Amino acid sequence: MEKELIQFHRDADKKRKKFVYRNALWGYLFILPAMIFLVTFSFTPLFMSFVRSFQDFQGTFVGFNNFKFILQTPTFIKSIGNVLILSAAVVILQTLFSFLMAHLILKLPPKVGNAIKIAIYIPNMMSGVITSVIFNLFLRYNRGFFDSLMLHFNMDPIYFAQDGIWPFICIIVPTLWLGFGYNTILMLSGRLSIPKEYYEAAKIDGAGAFRAMMSITIPNMSNYFILMLVNLITGNLQMLEIPMFITGGGPNESTITPCMYLFQSFNDVMRDRNITIAGSFLVMIPITLLNVIAFTCIRSKRSEDS
Amino acid sequence: MDQSSVLLKAKIKKIATVGAFILGALCVAFVIVFPFIWMVPSAWKGRTDIWSIPPKWFPSVWEWSNFSVLTEPDINGGSFFRSFGVTFFVGVVATALNLAINMLAAYGFARHEFWGKKIIWPLFLFTMFVPGITVQITSIQVVTKLHLINTLLVLILPTAANAYNIFFFRQFFLGIPDSLEEAAELDGAGRIQIFLRVFLPLSVTPMIITGVGCFIGHWNSYIWPTLAITERQEELRQVMQFVYMLSTSDVREYGKVIAATLITIACPLIVFSIFQKKIVAGITLSGLK
Repeated sequence: MEKELIQFHRDADKKRKKFVYRNALWGYLFILPAMIFLVTFSFTPLFMSFVRSFQDFQGTFVGFNNFKFILQTPTFIKSIGNVLILSAAVVILQTLFSFLMAHLILKLPPKVGNAIKIAIYIPNMMSGVITSVIFNLFLRYNRGFFDSLMLHFNMDPIYFAQDGIWPFICIIVPTLWLGFGYNTILMLSGRLSIPKEYYEAAKIDGAGAFRAMMSITIPNMSNYFILMLVNLITGNLQMLEIPMFITGGGPNESTITPCMYLFQSFNDVMRDRNITIAGSFLVMIPITLLNVIAFTCIRSKRSEDS
Repeated sequence: MDQSSVLLKAKIKKIATVGAFILGALCVAFVIVFPFIWMVPSAWKGRTDIWSIPPKWFPSVWEWSNFSVLTEPDINGGSFFRSFGVTFFVGVVATALNLAINMLAAYGFARHEFWGKKIIWPLFLFTMFVPGITVQITSIQVVTKLHLINTLLVLILPTAANAYNIFFFRQFFLGIPDSLEEAAELDGAGRIQIFLRVFLPLSVTPMIITGVGCFIGHWNSYIWPTLAITERQEELRQVMQFVYMLSTSDVREYGKVIAATLITIACPLIVFSIFQKKIVAGITLSGLK
């Protein structure tokens, strides 16, 4: 089944003309429902947020004042720095771990490998809320699984959500836990897409395992790496639920993220919503740009390949 | 040394290496599923049991009330099973609508040439690159104007059209061979009949992959319901909101929180265990686009 599907997708990009209906009213009819929904719930809000980010709360045009205001808000600036640190840690560790895990699974007998794949994929179905609830059970101060173990062995309990470097670890580890299975399977399928003959040829030429990894595995998996890195970067820059529910942004706003700041200030009736909207525009620009560039890059590479 | 003992040694070495790899992989998998293993007996633990020192694996008294309280209304007037039911209903309806709308649009893009397609297609795709929070906070104004706020529909309609799903189905449809349509057309089938008789039956696997994703996405959503449901909470509260509220309301009742969490995650886990082969294949596919 898997193979057939892959073949379908491989064929998909090849030029085909025969069964395309030209100037078809039907075409419009088929895309009409989707168009209505996208216009109502995506384009209208986007257009409105664009307009509102240049207006004050009474609707008068104020130029770039909202953007200036949000860029002078210390918490927002701090949140950008925080999310960059957190994302960098998650992206690097997740890429490394899932790449290594994929190679470990490759060495296992197929049945064991499949069972492991499914076991590590389970967390992927958990929401941010559930992940936070589960990890809070382990991390709660004085109670919590880890601290009750510490108390049992007569050690001082650690305030995981507040002490030193721990708040960062409390966010990074659950985030890694959540995405590990998905990324491992993605890396595994990338590795399996490389023909075995490449490695055999390298062996004959006398290349070692490390050399084979550097000159065969990594370049041939570039599309998979791009896909994974972009998903990880754009996903983690939007980090919201896990920091909100595990550390609550503390201590001293050192783990607050931009999306969390926007969500909270949007729910705060005392704050001007148009400033929040301007902030959400600033968050959108790098994420959307990165996504569009990566998507075009992968698509054009694929059409070169076929 | 004779040949057979060399072979034997090589064989033992091979078994030992594979054994070490299996052990390593099992350790990783154990660490990852450990929270769930710990939670299962803990769901029956009472207030004093849960953080007892030394920690206990199994409860000293099996507290069935942790589960039975979930059927009763809480102080806010909503009950856990009501939230469970409402979320399930929303998930099923939204998934059906999502599949219908996106498959039709994908068919439109895959098999029809029309004026403006070169502009409309990238515009559609653009929506999948925009962060959720940017669209969501102004969508509130739109759904308020449409009088959808604080109704069931606000949980269903805004995510009904999904550019990623359209893209996924379009890729799949482009790979379906012409000969099948030719045969159907010779039989006198129209556009809609071709869609229903040729495309729909072939699309079971992508429908499962997208459908499961859509259902679990609705099941797990917290931010949008929190923004869009400000009144009638006791009727419309989603299951994630309920679990979050429960986990913050009374810190001593952790047995109850674990019980509710286990029931909540059972739903996606059951869905996953039914379709796991196809979902794993779906991840492989996402790497191919």
